[in-house]
Amino acid sequence: MERTQDIIPLPKPAGPSAPPETPAPPALRNAFEVANLDVWYGQKHAVQGITLNVPERTITAIIGPSGCGKSTFLRCLNRMHELVPRSRMTGSILFFGEDLYAAQIDPAVIRRRIGMVFQKSNPFPTMSIAENVTVGLRLNGIRNRAFLRDRMEQSLRMAALWDEVKDDLGKPGVSLSGGQQQRLCIARAIATQPEVLLMDEPASALDPIATMKVEELIHQLSRDYTIVIVTHNMQQASRVSDKTAFLYLGRLVEFNDTDQLFTRPREKQTEDYISGRFG
Amino acid sequence: MADTSRHILGSYDAALSALQNDLLMMASLCERNLRNSLGCLLQRDEDLCNVTIADDEEIDQLEKQVDKNGIDLLRRFQPVATDLRHVVAAMKLAGNLERIADQAVNIARKARKLNRAPLLPEVHFLDPMYREVTSMLSDVLRAYTENSIDLAISIPARDKTLDAMNHEITENLTVQMTKFPERITEYLDLIFIARHLERAGDHVKNIAEDVVFAIAAEDIRHMGAQRPGSAADLLGEKAGEAEAWKAGDSVAS
Repeated sequence: MERTQDIIPLPKPAGPSAPPETPAPPALRNAFEVANLDVWYGQKHAVQGITLNVPERTITAIIGPSGCGKSTFLRCLNRMHELVPRSRMTGSILFFGEDLYAAQIDPAVIRRRIGMVFQKSNPFPTMSIAENVTVGLRLNGIRNRAFLRDRMEQSLRMAALWDEVKDDLGKPGVSLSGGQQQRLCIARAIATQPEVLLMDEPASALDPIATMKVEELIHQLSRDYTIVIVTHNMQQASRVSDKTAFLYLGRLVEFNDTDQLFTRPREKQTEDYISGRFG
Repeated sequence: MADTSRHILGSYDAALSALQNDLLMMASLCERNLRNSLGCLLQRDEDLCNVTIADDEEIDQLEKQVDKNGIDLLRRFQPVATDLRHVVAAMKLAGNLERIADQAVNIARKARKLNRAPLLPEVHFLDPMYREVTSMLSDVLRAYTENSIDLAISIPARDKTLDAMNHEITENLTVQMTKFPERITEYLDLIFIARHLERAGDHVKNIAEDVVFAIAAEDIRHMGAQRPGSAADLLGEKAGEAEAWKAGDSVAS
């Protein structure tokens, strides 16, 4: 399937080919390698010296109390923090080995390759369900109706929304329920076929059933995508993620496999936070 | 950083305390019943036999209460990390304590039967086993209340000793059977009592393994010769960190 535009070359498959009778699973590369990341908003030092790697095709959860720098960290991964006035960053972020902040990198292209889903669903109010899904492709100049139609259906199916909206594709996106709107936004995010999905509390405004549908969707998407999810819901982090990072006061306290972090955290501060002793 | 000795939710702390209180009450009754079962035999006290058998009902009810509290806690608070391990351990401990109490009842029933026959001097063969199993139970409960990995980890080796004692007592009583065949039934009852004590020791060992998991998040079951002999063996360099952590230090604070 075609990709709209690439400035950073697509990563090559990792490792030499294995003998056919004993195929070795390909080693997971790092989608992101973050080193010594510091971010300021004016005088506020929001993120302090974070270093961590995000393996590809895994779900990484970022947890921590309000104001700890979770969303700022997430936004650094697709350069969205640059949209905030007086923001400043030092350190480095490699995206599949390429410097995300190199001078020749176009942030708009980066944001196509690294999609984002926000806390509050935000379908375009004047657009139909179908138009909402394909808006990113059309903004990139794709006009082929058959292609747009196929990609729309594929994206809605991946977002587990197709069966619910296939007869109402012409209705406004905002006519859907909250949970459906959020899945529509996820369909919109994956329609341009990004390599990574960043999710900033994607289910925090949803009811429990819609939350479970979004969590199941995240699980399904993780087969093809690298997902980084910010969540306040620690049970959600525990359920959906492979790795979890705990941030506190802008610093990375602990980054570990999720099952380890929630059963035997290395740091007392992690234990105190996840077990509800402060926050 | 805020005071982290308590949870933000007071009801969470209250639920954890209630769970632990019921468990400790159950442990205390279980210890008493096991001690009483020895009295049943050595003091030839039929009333004590009946009391020991009747008291098991309270322990059964407490086991159900601990399980109910544990399930309520899991449902209401979704505990994680140390809290989760302690809740799961409490429920498993309750099961093992209930089975130890069942062994005490079995012993009391056998003692009641033996007490109706002339005294067997060989009842004193069981003294060392009784002392060891009651000491093991007392120590494992202390390990639980004091978070002592070393004390808990010492229990499985003592269970091996108990197994050896059982084996020796069984052999000695078998010899006595051949000498005094008219009392073969009573000797068989003593062998069964030794077997009940050995089974109680197995449950104490299970408790010790669960206590180690609750404290150190390490599973020491089914390790055979690889079983660690101390907290340092188990945790290596992390043993010091674990101590510091228990003391409230934090690398990140």
